[in-house]
Amino acid sequence: MEYKYIGKDAKRPSAVERITGKAIFVDDIRLPGMLYAKILYPKYAHAKILSIDTSEAEKMPGVVKVVTGKNIKHPFGDCLHDRLPMAVDKVRYIGEPVAAVIADTERHARAALSKIKVEYEPLPVYTDALDAMKKDAVLIHEHSEKYFYVTPLYKPTPGTNIAITYEIKKGDVKKGFKEADVVVEDEFNFHHMSSVAIEPHATIALHHLDGTVEIWTANVGPFAVREQVAEFFGKNISDVRVHIPHIGGCFGYKSDPGIEPLVAYIASFVPGRPVKLRLTRKEDFTSTFIGRGIRARVKVGATKDGKLTALEETLYLSTGAYADTGSNILIVAVQTSGGVYYFPNAHVKGYSVYTNTPPVGALRAYGHPEAEFAIERIMDMLARKLDMSPIELRKKNYITDGKTNVVGEKFKKSDGDLFKCTESVLEAIPPKVEVKEDENYLYGVGYAGLIKAPKAATFASKGCHIKFNVDGTVSLNMAGGDVGQGLWTVARQIAAEALKMPPEKIKVYNEIDTQYSPWEWQTVGSMFTFQGGNAIIRAANKAIDALKRNASLVLKRDPDMLEYDGEYVYDRSYPDVKVAVKDICRGYVTEDGTTIGEVVDVTSYFRLPGVQGPDPETGMGRTGGSYTMGFQGCKVKIDKRTGKVYIDHFATSIDVGKVIFPKGAEAQVLGGVLMGIGETLMEEVRFKENGEIANPDLIRYKLPRIEDLPGKQTVKFIETPDAVGPFGARGLGEHPMIGVAPAILNAIYDAIGYDFKEVPVTQDMVKKVLEEKGLTVKDKEE
Amino acid sequence: MQSITVTINGEKKEIYFEGGETLLDVLRDNLYLTGTKYGCGQGACGACTVVVNGEAVKSCMVLFRRLEGAEILTIEGLSKNGELHPIQKAFIDADAVHCGFCTPGIIMELYALFTKNPDASEEEIKKALNKHLCRCTGYLPLIEAAKIAQKYYKESIGKEV
Ligand code: FES
Ligand code: FES
Repeated sequence: MEYKYIGKDAKRPSAVERITGKAIFVDDIRLPGMLYAKILYPKYAHAKILSIDTSEAEKMPGVVKVVTGKNIKHPFGDCLHDRLPMAVDKVRYIGEPVAAVIADTERHARAALSKIKVEYEPLPVYTDALDAMKKDAVLIHEHSEKYFYVTPLYKPTPGTNIAITYEIKKGDVKKGFKEADVVVEDEFNFHHMSSVAIEPHATIALHHLDGTVEIWTANVGPFAVREQVAEFFGKNISDVRVHIPHIGGCFGYKSDPGIEPLVAYIASFVPGRPVKLRLTRKEDFTSTFIGRGIRARVKVGATKDGKLTALEETLYLSTGAYADTGSNILIVAVQTSGGVYYFPNAHVKGYSVYTNTPPVGALRAYGHPEAEFAIERIMDMLARKLDMSPIELRKKNYITDGKTNVVGEKFKKSDGDLFKCTESVLEAIPPKVEVKEDENYLYGVGYAGLIKAPKAATFASKGCHIKFNVDGTVSLNMAGGDVGQGLWTVARQIAAEALKMPPEKIKVYNEIDTQYSPWEWQTVGSMFTFQGGNAIIRAANKAIDALKRNASLVLKRDPDMLEYDGEYVYDRSYPDVKVAVKDICRGYVTEDGTTIGEVVDVTSYFRLPGVQGPDPETGMGRTGGSYTMGFQGCKVKIDKRTGKVYIDHFATSIDVGKVIFPKGAEAQVLGGVLMGIGETLMEEVRFKENGEIANPDLIRYKLPRIEDLPGKQTVKFIETPDAVGPFGARGLGEHPMIGVAPAILNAIYDAIGYDFKEVPVTQDMVKKVLEEKGLTVKDKEE
Repeated sequence: MQSITVTINGEKKEIYFEGGETLLDVLRDNLYLTGTKYGCGQGACGACTVVVNGEAVKSCMVLFRRLEGAEILTIEGLSKNGELHPIQKAFIDADAVHCGFCTPGIIMELYALFTKNPDASEEEIKKALNKHLCRCTGYLPLIEAAKIAQKYYKESIGKEV
């Protein structure tokens, strides 16, 4: 099928604003009478608050109010209501707000912070799930039995630090292991990292005197923010209005309500005055969501010809001080534990465990990289034990047409062609390294499959509002946040295709406002193209039908005898019997001046069809709905002197169904792979024993730079049309990160014969192994 | 309060400030030139880069009071008479503007580089860009944009003369 706008390059509608410094981000907003807040953080990562004395701080210049958590009546949340915007009687992590100063300037607010006196009684600190799960561990939440949860899936285990437990059972694992000739077992650990968008978090909140609340924030879940803030204050949802200006990158941690409830709480003490809180980079590390933090104990069995027979796995998520946002990450990780492989039998159990770290929240592809890291590493280990090529072993066990994943979802041909993805990566990076070693370097190759579904709430929808203007142009409103992934561009292209008009005639929204934008769950899970695209097509068809109904009155033909081409509606058999779209989009003004027909202004929604929550007994069910699969591979060279790992070539092939915006799609892969390289080789939020973060800045927390780029990158898209996606397209945004860590670690094994089982793998760790194995060389000149 | 006189985006101005502010603080909070961004406050991300006396500087690392008489150019001063600067055009043509938060700093960096050395080598370009963090693009689109920017810029100096 030939498309006019889909699959062709397009200009990003937001580019000029963003390139001239005119795009407005939250911290660029100044409202009349605006006040500034600064936050006091605790000395301890886990402690009882004995007393807070704010009297001195209140006397400081410019101070309007000092706020503590004592007015908070109940916790809030989404799935498990265990969150507090500010500490009430104890602190559970080092970045937890203890008090806030509101002042006329940020400087005055900051100066007053040091005058607040807090007395603490320190408690033991746990930063790892395994420690927090010990029998004698002190409880981080003493009364988790009191928390509200939406379904029993999110029910905490009172009397322990276990927030939620989730288990799936498929087939009979005992039998599966009996059938196995070979069993491999190991433990893998994916450390915490941060999303680190270059724009730190910022929020403005204003409680109007009429009781309504207005919020400006950088978040891709404006409606979730609205609902949780409304619930927290006991207000009507309609009385909370959330504005989303430009967002300077998200990568996960700006998708659940984060600092918004905090700022709304603080601002409630100064009704009528807007209050801004902008986080420093340090606060952005310590006081917003972090990601990953999953340990996996994995056991797989296979027959001697390489057929997988069973998977047994336990996952431990160090979920941080509050478990609401981490719960779904644990669930997703369990559901993804089998990766792209078919296991006839599986028993997987996961625990999300309270720890004294910032809460774990969304981070690009959450749950998937952690689980697939474990399975993709163990596949290589299994291949070795079977004396089989890791590629052969993988191909033998791919989930294909008619097979089911570990939660029992059946795959179809239209879900994508993993074999083609594998072939195109192998073409770029052949599985055999010509030279394994030279004077300076050791070389190796490694591969990994990848798979991901949106894993959204079953009611998650996206909406599209199409308004025809009287000159025949269109205004398109949705609530998807363009955080750099090119969402507004894709929306415009799909609308152009569906409405058969050039993109220039379609003005896409560039801000979101819960009062006007159509409802959308959250812009998460790489779902926008899939769901949003379908919402656009539905709305476009609705609009075209309305135009045809109007035209039928004018042309005196039945609507189904009419065609639409973007400019005219005309009689199919006599095309010169026609009426211009611009003349019928607000009804039609007849010769005698009366107006007939309807105003063409429509809204449509789309949700993933048939997605279910997991069965409460078995944990099984159609929880994914739409999967995107792919394959990644890399060639590494390791400096024998320094232990530095260089990625010579990284290749990614993903079956996206249909590429909508080629440059944007390619860039999603380039950016995702580089972020994956970051989490594999350098990025980690490191905790000291006392729960402090050792590296809360961009000097000690290393983000990939240009110098860290792979020598070469290959990106290849396969296009097996999806049965439901718009024009056959599937989700793509998060996927390029998933296979990076296991591919690199598999390649490191190939180069140096050592199995790393955790990420990040730093230069020092590699160097140590080289030394132990006698693989280093000393500089001759020395 | 104290004041110094500087030229910002071609306009000479006396600017009042408290004392300890960085150039970034003054640009964003006093002058509302919010195109210059805060990303780290430690000289690590480059989002705050502006051009001072022809050099790219990280404005979060410069105390404003040291700038008496300086000529400061920010992203707001780059496009003239409603026309985008050639470097800006290049970023659009190369599709290198993603979330756009790192972009103003990167453009100012390249502006300083190309005005000093229109023939900067690829190595020099990469070295300049290596001072900047971008979480979106994976950098290759930025390198591509920088090369196109160099070409457009060189064409434009021909025209201006
Ligand atoms: S804000 Fe100045 S370098 Fe990051
Ligand atoms: S474009 Fe988003 S950080 Fe560079």
